[in-house]
Order: sequence, then structure tokens, then C-alpha cells
Amino acid sequence: MTPLEIAEISLRSIAISGTASIIAAVISIPLSLFLCLRDFKGKNLILEILNSMVSLPTVVIGLLLYYLLTRTGPLGFLDLMYTPIAMVIGQAILIIPLMTIFMERALDSRKDVVEVAISLGASNSQAAHRLFLDSLPGIISSVLVGFNRAIGELGVALMLGGNIKGFTRVMTTAIALEVSKGEFELGISLGFILVCISLLLTSAISRMARR
Amino acid sequence: MRKLFIGIVLAVLLASIALLYIISTEKRSLIVTTTTSLYATGLLDELKAKFESKNPGVMVKFIATGTGEALKRASQGGVDLVLVHAPSLEKEYAEKGVIEKNGSIFAYNYFILVGPSADPAGASGKSVIDAFKSIYSAGERGKVLFISRGDRSGTNVREMQIWRMAGLNPKNKSWYIESGSDMVTTLSIANEKQAYTLVDVGTWLFMKDKLGLRVIVDRGDELINIYSVYIVPSGNVRDASAFKEFILSKEGQETINSFKGGGLFFSAIWPVDNTKWLRETWEKWSKIKG
Repeated sequence: MTPLEIAEISLRSIAISGTASIIAAVISIPLSLFLCLRDFKGKNLILEILNSMVSLPTVVIGLLLYYLLTRTGPLGFLDLMYTPIAMVIGQAILIIPLMTIFMERALDSRKDVVEVAISLGASNSQAAHRLFLDSLPGIISSVLVGFNRAIGELGVALMLGGNIKGFTRVMTTAIALEVSKGEFELGISLGFILVCISLLLTSAISRMARR
Repeated sequence: MRKLFIGIVLAVLLASIALLYIISTEKRSLIVTTTTSLYATGLLDELKAKFESKNPGVMVKFIATGTGEALKRASQGGVDLVLVHAPSLEKEYAEKGVIEKNGSIFAYNYFILVGPSADPAGASGKSVIDAFKSIYSAGERGKVLFISRGDRSGTNVREMQIWRMAGLNPKNKSWYIESGSDMVTTLSIANEKQAYTLVDVGTWLFMKDKLGLRVIVDRGDELINIYSVYIVPSGNVRDASAFKEFILSKEGQETINSFKGGGLFFSAIWPVDNTKWLRETWEKWSKIKG
């Protein structure tokens, strides 16, 4: 494997998992705000379900989406199977529960802000906005947890992307392929590169968020 | 800082969506599901490069899995061509109409039985069926282990067929281990446990230097490994036909024969037309349940 190929695969991993994380964040932020601010019957149950969904094996999510997206499936007309877009959708669904739980926790730890804001005459939506801004570091680190989960997962990428060279091959599927070719050392090197990428991105973004 | 952050996030999003969009619309896709034993050697990438230089409008995309999964994926749609090596499964899916009725044999090589160098089952030098019988009885006496892929891959199907021909059923025996993994992992397990296993010659040749195992049986009709190509009628038939034709052309067949200096895969038609006996052998295997 040439360095150029490794760079290309790394960039594809970042692009796919990054897009998935942004989509997941757009869904998880309002969801977690809702769960944090509203008190209703069954709220704990929802949180418990989300929590247990984190245990869903990635390959099972991949399989469920496979039946949805495949040409004979209900969404087959979109022709998304074996494309990076299918991987983005799969990874977004994979990390939404995880992100929502982390975000809900981050928001919950700052919940006193809401009461203060309301006692100072803020409207509900102004208070929610304040809570969101105050919890931003926690929100961003939740997004990063999701991103790292997405970039390190194999099941969805393999099932929905198919590990097609130059098209849907990402770090994790490349590692799996190298292992199946008996190139264990290259597999470990790629794994190390993956962790380095994740470390660089995570520390860069959290540093920016702290400032 | 917030503006910068949002800016970066938006830039990444736009760039990646643009990237994905460009890649996905540039060329016509030809999705080929194939077996790992063909793909991992690099043969298919060589065929792809030669084919694409002649057909610049097509992008061949390989999805490398076991034969069972390759055919299963074809049955769910989204696949245009399959390259597989399990006659009995091929027949099953052809009868269901998932793949074309008359596929073409494009290459062959051999399976080999490998095991610990001491050969505690005394299987060396026997026919493969007798070797399996020896392994079975030695296994029953607790002397040896056998590692099976257990994944409905072409290699696994052949192994099950050989057990059946020997009149034995090793399933659920304590000495019979199903790895559920690819060939390399299965070989590694066999190596660690000093056990016997069935392997395709391609994988064996590039793995053998890393293993403390040796060839036990490498001769016999039971060990011929036949690779066939099938068009999936529900897919992109036009480009699938073109790629199939290329694989069967003189250039494609020469590429297969001379790959990595030769000896890894043998052409089915060139320079000698082997189609007749390969087809007969294929027919025989297609009738034996795996």
C-alpha cells in the first residue's frame, strides 16, 4: 500500500465519519435539549433505551440498513447501496444514541442556568439558548465521542460500503482486508495511523472549543 | 473562535459532500462481488486496470467476501457480476434466477490439505478422502484437531463435500473447530493449535512462510478449485457482459495464467482449452451437497 493510498483512505475516513457526525449532531442537539428540559412520563425509559442502543453491534445496524437500502428494499430506488452516502447514513444512525446521551448529561450538569435565566425574566427559548451556550464544551466533546466511534467502527462500513477500493474503502475496512491478506504488520500500522488522526482532530477541536 | 469552528465544520462538510458526489457520479459502476481468495492476491486489481484502460467509462468495484455472502448479496440486488468458486451454491442461485443460468469457468487451481509437520493423523500421502478419514479417527482418539472455516465460503463448501464423500459428519465433535473467519485467520488458528485445515493454494502460497504447517495432501480430483463468472440479470448487464468477455478473452486469460509469475491460478481456456473436463468436474461438484 502506497503512502498516497493511505492518505486517500484516511481522508475518506475523515470525510465520511465527519459528515456522519455533523448529521448526527444536528439531530442529537435538539433531541438532548428536549430530553433535558422537558419533564414527561417515560423520559427515563427513553434514556434507558438510548443507552442500551449503544450496545447494538455495528454490523447489525449495517444489516438493518442493508435491507432498507438494497435495490429490492423499500429505499432501493435511491440507489445508495455500496456508496459512501450509505456509510454516512449508517454511521449517523449508529452514533445518534451515543451522542444524545452524552449531550443530555452535559446539559443536565448545567441545568441550574435555566432557573437563573428564567428568574431573570428570560423566555423558555432564551433559557434553552443560554443552557446550550453554557454547555457548548460538553456538546462538542459529545460530538467528538460520536466521531471517534464512527471512524473506528467496521460493521456498517463493510456491510453498506463493501470496502470498494478508491470508493468506499476506509481505514477500518482496509485494516480488515490487510488482516485477511495476512499483512498483520500493515494492519497494526494502519490502526496506529487511525488513532493518531483521531487524536489530532480531537485535541485540535477541543482546544479550539476551550478558547 | 466560534466563527472559526463553524467555518471549519462547514468547510469539512461541504468538501466531503462534494468529494462523495464527484466520485459517485463520474463513471458507470460495475459492482462485482467476489471471493476473498481471488481478491486478496491482487489478481482482480490487475484485471480491473487492464479492463478499465479499454473501457474508460466504467469503474469496476469489487466487494470481497466469501462465496456464500457474494451470492447472497447478489440475490438482494445492487450487484452486477459475481466471481465465485462453489459449484453447488452456484447451481442453487442459478436455479433461483439470481445469477445467469450458464456461467463461465474462467480459472482453476487447487485446494490443499495442510497440517502439523509431525502429521499425527498419518494422513500424508493418502488420497484426500482417506486423509479426512484418518483425521476423523485420530480426532476421535483425541490426537488431532481440524479447523473449518464454517462460513459457507467456497473452501468451506468443498470441505463439507469431502466429509460427505468420506461418509463422515464431524459437526459438533470436540476436535472439530469452526473458526467462522476468513482463510488467513483460519490458517493462523490452525497454526497456533497445530491443527489440520483445507486451504486454497493461493492463500497458502503467500502465507506458508509465516506458518509452522506443511502440505499433507495436494493431489486428486477432489481438490480442484473452479472459479466461475456469472452475470446478475437484474444488474448492469451491459458492462457486466463486457467485463466477463474481457476475463474470458486471450488477454484476460493470459493475465490469469501469468499472474505473479504463474502457478497461482490457471487459465480455463488458454493456451489449452480445459473447458470440457473443468465443466465435467464442475457438474460433479454441483450435485454434492456441502
